[in-house]
Amino acid sequence: MFQLSIIKDTLSVHPSNFGVPPDEALIAEINKKYANRVLHDLGLCVCLFDLVQAGEGKVRYGDGFLWYKVVFRMVVFRPFTSEVIIAKVKSSDEDGIRLTIGFFDDMHIPAAYLPQPSAFDPNERAHFWLPSPPSPPSSPSHTTSAPSLLDSLVSSRMYIDQGEILRVRVEADQFCDDEPGPQKFVEGVGAEAKGRVRAPYNVVCSIAEQGLGPVAWWTGETEDTGDVDAEGDAMEEG
Amino acid sequence: MEVVNPRVALLSNLEVLTLLRELESDHLTRTKLAQRIKKEEEASGTVHGSSTLANINAHLEATENLRTIEVEAIGYLSADYLPTSSQSAEGVTKLVKDLAPYELTKAEKLQVVNLAPTLAVELYVIVEELEDRLGDRMEEILTHVRSSTATAAASASQSIGMGSVDDVVHIEEDSWQHNSGEDADGIIDEDMFDDTGEGAGVEGDLDVDDDD
Repeated sequence: MFQLSIIKDTLSVHPSNFGVPPDEALIAEINKKYANRVLHDLGLCVCLFDLVQAGEGKVRYGDGFLWYKVVFRMVVFRPFTSEVIIAKVKSSDEDGIRLTIGFFDDMHIPAAYLPQPSAFDPNERAHFWLPSPPSPPSSPSHTTSAPSLLDSLVSSRMYIDQGEILRVRVEADQFCDDEPGPQKFVEGVGAEAKGRVRAPYNVVCSIAEQGLGPVAWWTGETEDTGDVDAEGDAMEEG
Repeated sequence: MEVVNPRVALLSNLEVLTLLRELESDHLTRTKLAQRIKKEEEASGTVHGSSTLANINAHLEATENLRTIEVEAIGYLSADYLPTSSQSAEGVTKLVKDLAPYELTKAEKLQVVNLAPTLAVELYVIVEELEDRLGDRMEEILTHVRSSTATAAASASQSIGMGSVDDVVHIEEDSWQHNSGEDADGIIDEDMFDDTGEGAGVEGDLDVDDDD
């Protein structure tokens, strides 16, 4: 989940900080510049781990800052592909589930990576999984499509609610570097900025596998399914 | 800016949590000190006098970004659905040693440490082709994991509350103080500044943890 990266940079220290030891001033500068920032193709920087090397401070023409060449190690959040992570459901929509792990929110599970068969319930605003799929419909052309799933018994559905703790597998990650660039003009009028700004770092996760999904499904598995079955029977009888 | 090496080593959740908690306590002592100095100055009436120390602290004060990620990451890592807060450095070291004979890959060991699986289902997700590779030795791994968190919990309760965490932080602090001392001396002498010995040592330790 976390890794150490070695980064080299040239940083300046403001004259008002000349009073403190230079290493402390540099650590403050590094954290100011890098903490909570996504570096392209590297990951989300958390904080400085330690300084590896620092040159002598030099004054440049034009300002009173001391410029240091520094090599340091950074704690970076970059889960590797196929790593298993515990995350919380932030929200659900037709396209999939958005996840959060507190300090990082750009994680999502596309609908294709949900356990099959599953569907989105617009009333509950949540996805659900049918552990015991209904008997295959007579027409072989469309097998368990969303509408037929929505006709299933509510009691046999396993909902993935908001705030639930999921065990997910990282499938892929993607970096987007959306530079603002020059403003585009369409027919003499400045074009509107794109409605949705892409997140600089996205992680795609999956729960379509045994053992993945809500943690509660697997810890109390036997009791849970038992309860569900009992409820289902009650519903059918009633 | 230049990325020299994107992945020198992998860090376990516990290592990151320990580092962040240390930052947090640093921050707290710093703000407390600044407040105390301010109060003393106000009491003695020399507000514009010798407030340099407070000023310096203000400049070095962690920025909003660092505070945000620090608080949020501590919140996630010490959540009760992650085992990290019940782990200790000794427990993890022992666990990694115990895992050595099972021929797990580095990534698998890291995940076993991070997620501390106590059920066979959880282990299935982490280790590929579990049954072929481990057969019935699966239960042994789960026992090792349980014992590693159990000893940590026991030692924590013995030393009342935050005891075990303090110990970990203390170990880290020692190396850091050593580090900063060396750097302070090294202002004049550039050669002193590259603490290859120190850095290499820490790195080596990490590698050993991962490899064992």
